[in-house]
Amino acid sequence: MLSYVAQRVGVALVMVWLVATLVFLLLHIIPGDPAVLLLSSGSTAPDPQAVEALRRQLGLDQPITTQYADYIVGILQGDLGVSLRDGTPVAEQIARRLPRTLELIVAAAILAVGIGIPVGVRAATRAGGLTDKIASGASALALSTPVFVTGTLAILLFAQTLRIAPAGGYVPFADNPMRHLGLLILPASTVALPLCAVVIRMTRSAVLEVLERDFVRAVRARGVAPRRIMTRHVLRAALVPVVTVTGLELGTLLGGTVLVEFVYNWPGLSGFLVSAVEARDYPEVVGIVLTISALFVALNLFVDLLNAVLDPKVRLST
Amino acid sequence: MKGGAARKLALPVTMVVLIVGTAALAPILPLADPTAIDIPNRFDGPSWEHPLGQDEFGRDELARIIWGGRASLAVAILSSLIAAAAGTALGLMGGYFRGAAEILTVRAAEVLLCLPPLLLALLVVTLLGSGATTLVIALSILYTPRFVRIAYAATLQTRSLDYVVAQEALGRHPVPILARTILPNISPPLLVQLSVTVASAMVIESGLSFLGLGVVPPAPSWGLMIRGARGAMDAAPLLLVWPCLALVLAIYTFNLLCDRLRDVLDPRAVALGAGGWLRALGGSTTLPATPTSQGLLEADHLTVRLGDSADATRLVRDVSFGLQPGQTVALVGESGSGKTLSGLAAMGLLPTGLSASGTRIALQTEGGAVNVLALNEPQMNAFRGEEIAMVFQDAAASLSPVMRVGKQIEEAVRAHHDVSAHDAAQRARSLLARVGMPNPERAARAWPHELSGGQRQRAMIAAAIANGPGVLIADEPTTALDPTIQAQILELLIELKSEAGAMIFVTHNLAIVAEIADRILVLYAGEVVEEGTVARVFEDPRHPYTAALIKCVPESGEERLVAIPGVVPAPNELPQGCRFAPRCSFATPRCCDEHPSLETTEDGRTVRCLRWREIP
Repeated sequence: MLSYVAQRVGVALVMVWLVATLVFLLLHIIPGDPAVLLLSSGSTAPDPQAVEALRRQLGLDQPITTQYADYIVGILQGDLGVSLRDGTPVAEQIARRLPRTLELIVAAAILAVGIGIPVGVRAATRAGGLTDKIASGASALALSTPVFVTGTLAILLFAQTLRIAPAGGYVPFADNPMRHLGLLILPASTVALPLCAVVIRMTRSAVLEVLERDFVRAVRARGVAPRRIMTRHVLRAALVPVVTVTGLELGTLLGGTVLVEFVYNWPGLSGFLVSAVEARDYPEVVGIVLTISALFVALNLFVDLLNAVLDPKVRLST
Repeated sequence: MKGGAARKLALPVTMVVLIVGTAALAPILPLADPTAIDIPNRFDGPSWEHPLGQDEFGRDELARIIWGGRASLAVAILSSLIAAAAGTALGLMGGYFRGAAEILTVRAAEVLLCLPPLLLALLVVTLLGSGATTLVIALSILYTPRFVRIAYAATLQTRSLDYVVAQEALGRHPVPILARTILPNISPPLLVQLSVTVASAMVIESGLSFLGLGVVPPAPSWGLMIRGARGAMDAAPLLLVWPCLALVLAIYTFNLLCDRLRDVLDPRAVALGAGGWLRALGGSTTLPATPTSQGLLEADHLTVRLGDSADATRLVRDVSFGLQPGQTVALVGESGSGKTLSGLAAMGLLPTGLSASGTRIALQTEGGAVNVLALNEPQMNAFRGEEIAMVFQDAAASLSPVMRVGKQIEEAVRAHHDVSAHDAAQRARSLLARVGMPNPERAARAWPHELSGGQRQRAMIAAAIANGPGVLIADEPTTALDPTIQAQILELLIELKSEAGAMIFVTHNLAIVAEIADRILVLYAGEVVEEGTVARVFEDPRHPYTAALIKCVPESGEERLVAIPGVVPAPNELPQGCRFAPRCSFATPRCCDEHPSLETTEDGRTVRCLRWREIP
């Protein structure tokens, strides 16, 4: 088990390094001078002096190997450069906003799993029944609705028309816990909706698949109570694919938070990203993309380790 | 199948044609100018000239929806096609040349997949600025890796095929060969991936436009329209609803196409009713009238049907047998003879879709005999493991993979007896010792996959005998094992036989029958063809099928082994007369017309053959 954990952590670290390298290369692979690209809008050529200044500021006048070394050393020291807009360290901004995005993700994941697994199990045990039909229709619709559409329509319905929920905003938990949680409900549900649909679909098909397996009949042959077979054997065996696929959806989930934070004015990492992209503030964008990618890799690592806990076979296959 | 596929695809394909067609024909449709501003009439409701009303700048909403769809679809479809072409080419190269090419294409693609999709798109937008061209570039980069993976996997699979290797040996250049072999192979998954990519690209495109980082105003796009209408939500909520509906409908259509394509291309239908027993909760708790019965288990004219209707295919027909205390009865026959189904019917564990009927299956329990066929699921469950238990053929597949071996045995004990966890664990360990497990303490803590095949079978036997059942059904318990282990398990079962009430031994191996069983029941195509004591049947088989089976056994002492020609007929195309006639070397024309009934011989055996008196 310990060697398995060490191996997975090692792979995750390599992944983060590869992603960092890829992001670095992207700036250089795209044809044209990055500084010119960043400063141009439309067809007007940028001011040569400004280009020169930006080149110096981004270190583009250095040889590429030096640039890469500085970049990697910077990341290792937690230095993600300074913003082109206001000169503040990027890492500082990220550290302030990251917990808010994390909170959104965790709340959404809890909602999605908490609702998705029971609904998926019920849809599977009564496959073809009413619950199954409703769940499958609703999840197909949820998977086809982009989060910003859900979010915007939810604001229209709950805040604008029914006036039962705030349209968005953020209050620190320490200032007003109730208000904080009230403001969390809509964004978290919006992020959770497509994830929940994935969990329902996956749980349903995994449970149906496990129910077909021989060992279920063997456990029944011992006279074990159906409810216990369902929870201790079937669901337990079905959770492995559910967790894996949910993990694969995390990328979409993280991307979704960008839009959801924007829709609800949630001051997390992603809203920051949008304004950075709008301002073409390259160091900020790179810093945020790296952070979110590292988060993504970390979540995948978590999923891998969770799978190892759930599936005794995984632990052996190091 | 073909008709079913066409029916399944009709709806999504029609919808895709309608949506794409409307968008493509936008320039020649009689629409208002989508960018013509008419400030005085902003937020006007629907009218003849503006069927969906006018937006925040007084522009025609319907025209903007259709033109917006044109922009969204063009970006999504174009980038998906670029990604598909580039990805397939790169995957093909990576899979064929391996080495450095593989690292540059496939591994790079995998790293790209580590970036959340929207973020990668945003990174490109930062560098290139917003606009439709940037979107196409960003989305192409984003989706190429998915196609790389599909093409790569297919290439690896195909390049080792004999056909490709042979062509290579002839000096032909392999890439055209690969392309010709692979492209047809991967076109189904490619189509599925293409439709899901279009849907996903529309999500990203509209999301970026919604953030103001995609399509540049005043050109219409659904994402931009939602962004614009959001600000005017209180004045004109419908302006928000129309583009949302259009967007969701378009994405839904492509997702539906993907789902249906996948169904058609990969028609592995999952049985929906596998959980039927989970629903059979409650019901009457009073046991139906108890039949009188001497034996521990008596099946009386047992029939197993596929489905419930009266004319349903019968997989097992009129099988009767009895099991006296201390006795072992062997059910023998080839695959498809109905021997396992008879055992499962006695357990009340027939697979979904099969139903058992007949006069009765009487099971002796503590409170008297019960008719298994009349019990509901909870009632039967109370007897399973307690009065009647079963050992299955494949122990690797029949032990729960997610529970330690000891726990599974404890579970079997505690399902029927209210004992403490500690006592149950104690009992599990002693049972493991009883079945000859080398290290019971360790085995109890082991996961099934940590045990060897023979140990797994011992563990399953331990779980089956945990409550000292009166009847033990062993379904080919040694078939999946190595010969030396087979002998050990058989020895264990012979030992247990003297302790247990009685045993039904299901097997196709007559050599084992001779060692373990007292009586033998030979089944063919779902019916009994011969029944009697093992000694008499082996010495003097009366049915040609039994005789032929005995001649197939290597240990039978025959000079040459004789295989039985042909196969067991499928249950829905049984021969009209004797079921065995087409394979029987003694068959006469009468055998093909007349179905023989079971007859009792002078020594108390039963046999189902028209010519049993004549045949030596």
